Amino acid sequence: MSVTTASRPTTPVATTSRHVDPTRRQQAVAAWVLALPFLVLFLVFTAGPVLASLGMSFTDIRSTDMRTPFAVGFVGVENYAKLLADPLFQKVMLNTFLYLVLGVPLTMALALAAAVGLNRITFLRGLFRVGYYLPVVTSIVAVSVVWKFLLRDEGGLLNAVLALVGINGPAWLDSTSLALPSLVVMSSWRNLGSLMIIFLAGLQTIPTEVNEATEVDGASAWQRFRHVTLPMLRPTLLFGAVITSIGYLQFFEEAFVMTKGGPLDSTRSVTFFTYDQFGFGNYGLAAAASYLLFLAVVVFTFVQFRFLGERREK
Amino acid sequence: MRRTTRRTASAFTALAVAASLALTGCGRDSGSEAGPGASKAISDAKASGTINVWAMGTEGEKLQDFVKDFESANPDATVKVTAVPWEAAHDKISAAIASGKTPDVSLIGTTWMGEFAKAGGLDPTPDGLVKDSDFYDGAWGSTVVGNTSYGVPWYVETRVLYYRTDLAKKAGWDKAPTTWDEFSKFAADLKKSGVKYPVSLQPGQTGSWQTVLPFAWSNGAKVTNGSGTEYSIDSPQMSEALNYYKSFFDKGYSQTRMLDPGELENGFAKGTYGSFISGPWHIGLVEDAGLTKDKYAVAPLPGKDSGPGTSFTGGGDLAVFKDAKNRDGAWKLVRWLSDAQTQSKWYDTVKDLPAVKSAWQSGDLAGDQQLQVFGRQLDSAEAPPAVPSWEQVASVIDGDVEKAVKGSVPTSDAVADMQKQAKSIGTGL
Repeated sequence: MSVTTASRPTTPVATTSRHVDPTRRQQAVAAWVLALPFLVLFLVFTAGPVLASLGMSFTDIRSTDMRTPFAVGFVGVENYAKLLADPLFQKVMLNTFLYLVLGVPLTMALALAAAVGLNRITFLRGLFRVGYYLPVVTSIVAVSVVWKFLLRDEGGLLNAVLALVGINGPAWLDSTSLALPSLVVMSSWRNLGSLMIIFLAGLQTIPTEVNEATEVDGASAWQRFRHVTLPMLRPTLLFGAVITSIGYLQFFEEAFVMTKGGPLDSTRSVTFFTYDQFGFGNYGLAAAASYLLFLAVVVFTFVQFRFLGERREK
Repeated sequence: MRRTTRRTASAFTALAVAASLALTGCGRDSGSEAGPGASKAISDAKASGTINVWAMGTEGEKLQDFVKDFESANPDATVKVTAVPWEAAHDKISAAIASGKTPDVSLIGTTWMGEFAKAGGLDPTPDGLVKDSDFYDGAWGSTVVGNTSYGVPWYVETRVLYYRTDLAKKAGWDKAPTTWDEFSKFAADLKKSGVKYPVSLQPGQTGSWQTVLPFAWSNGAKVTNGSGTEYSIDSPQMSEALNYYKSFFDKGYSQTRMLDPGELENGFAKGTYGSFISGPWHIGLVEDAGLTKDKYAVAPLPGKDSGPGTSFTGGGDLAVFKDAKNRDGAWKLVRWLSDAQTQSKWYDTVKDLPAVKSAWQSGDLAGDQQLQVFGRQLDSAEAPPAVPSWEQVASVIDGDVEKAVKGSVPTSDAVADMQKQAKSIGTGL
């Protein structure tokens, strides 16, 4: 290949309009060759299944059709219509929305508070960082099982402590109104570590001069936080909000281990619903539910970019 | 840049169009599944060749040694057992059926029969291979999908009433309750004598249908019509049974929350729970929790007006795949495993309760008074309908039982909702 090109005359001036620089073309070919292994893997194992599942969501494919996957009925948007009309799916959508609007602000506020605090202190800093981060690296199933025991009605640690001060604690995980918030608190505790690390990194990019200058101008600690730290942290906050939202929209393991979606489906999420449908063999319906969730992720991410993203017009 | 985006977009459109064309091009055959092919009888000669078997759990571990007798009776045959974990078994079998690369024989959980048979993966049981009257009715029923049998029951389990004999005696009961009225009275008496929860039942959620349906069956309710092609859950008998079930929660005889693993056995040993309904595995669990045979006993489920009631039966079936390379040898192995003598020996090896009735009259099993109770219960036990959509309908029942028991909807509405949802799900046949 290189021999052929070397023998070719290199006169770029002669044909200006349609000439392609051979070196560039060669580079392009090399680039494609180098990219090919990835492209093939991507097309076969990522794009292929994604498109196949999108196609599946428009058919009535079930697990009993596995021997003849193409001999299924095309049903258009019927799966989507069926989902939106299903009272259980409406319930799990509402639950997922509650996980999102309760979980994201709580997790972010806790992570920000921890980050601001840790940014100030120097004493035992490493220990605290490890302490806050530890839940993130522990197994989610193990954590959920332990919390299930902490929150137990009779003999749970939390209710035992409450009993010491004379409060008769409720059955946290067996109440339709308390189970979901309990799960949110638990997963905030579990997830705040990684956000805290991100926020800490963000805080350290804020120049100390800015803070010192405002301090000289007589701004209080709160004013400095509100008008200096928060605005300068905006890109970091946006990133944190987006990844946390995606996490809460896909809420699953905690509910799966701790409540099995109950009581009365009050902790069942969209992902849980989808998992069940796949288990029942309703592949078409489950694929449709996944795409609705995907759509929700896109919409919420878009909204966050609109409200938290940089304002260009300023 | 702009051009690339446009090109990508048009590529995606082309793909989507192609995909939708492909999908519309091949719809379902209108007369889908022309019914099972004729089940060719197997020859009388001895089995030969390699027979590949998949089995789960303890069965998977012990079967290889156990089949030595079969191999010595059929010198030309070799049995190769592959142990598959239960958790992975359903997906593995379903993938094997989809790709056509199946073993010859597999243990199949009774609730999966409908799905795999409907997917066209299983070979119908050859005529004259075994006598279906040798097996318990409920167990045989689990192999029948749409009037055709697709396998042979291997082992069974059923649910009976476990109760604390010492606590019952204190409350004035020296025998187990045999009717619904007696059962309520039993619970009331135990409650009066200080047992916190005389009867532990499941307040809905995963698997509660296995405890609820026996009450419904005992009351004459049927979950499907005679041929198993349509659900018929909504009936006065079903509502009455659910009302009766609910009464245990309303009167405080049963706890209303889901118990954690281990809680039931320990609570039973401590006397928090006076009785519960479960399968044979609880004998070991209860005795591990510290109870001895003089403190508890098992009894057949109470019937509506006379005992015993109709219980739930599950277990495992042996099925031969359509794609089996050694169909003839496979069915011969199945026939050997369901022989009364082999079944009795298999019980001695792994303690699986035999599906063949006559196997209960010999070996260790014949002398075990406690297990004979399970044997009597098996005479009146039903299997859930063997249809592909059963697991989904079962989860609907679980959800509606929870709503009824916790009082968020009246029982008649809950039963009507079960039927409504089951009807829209369909049997999947």
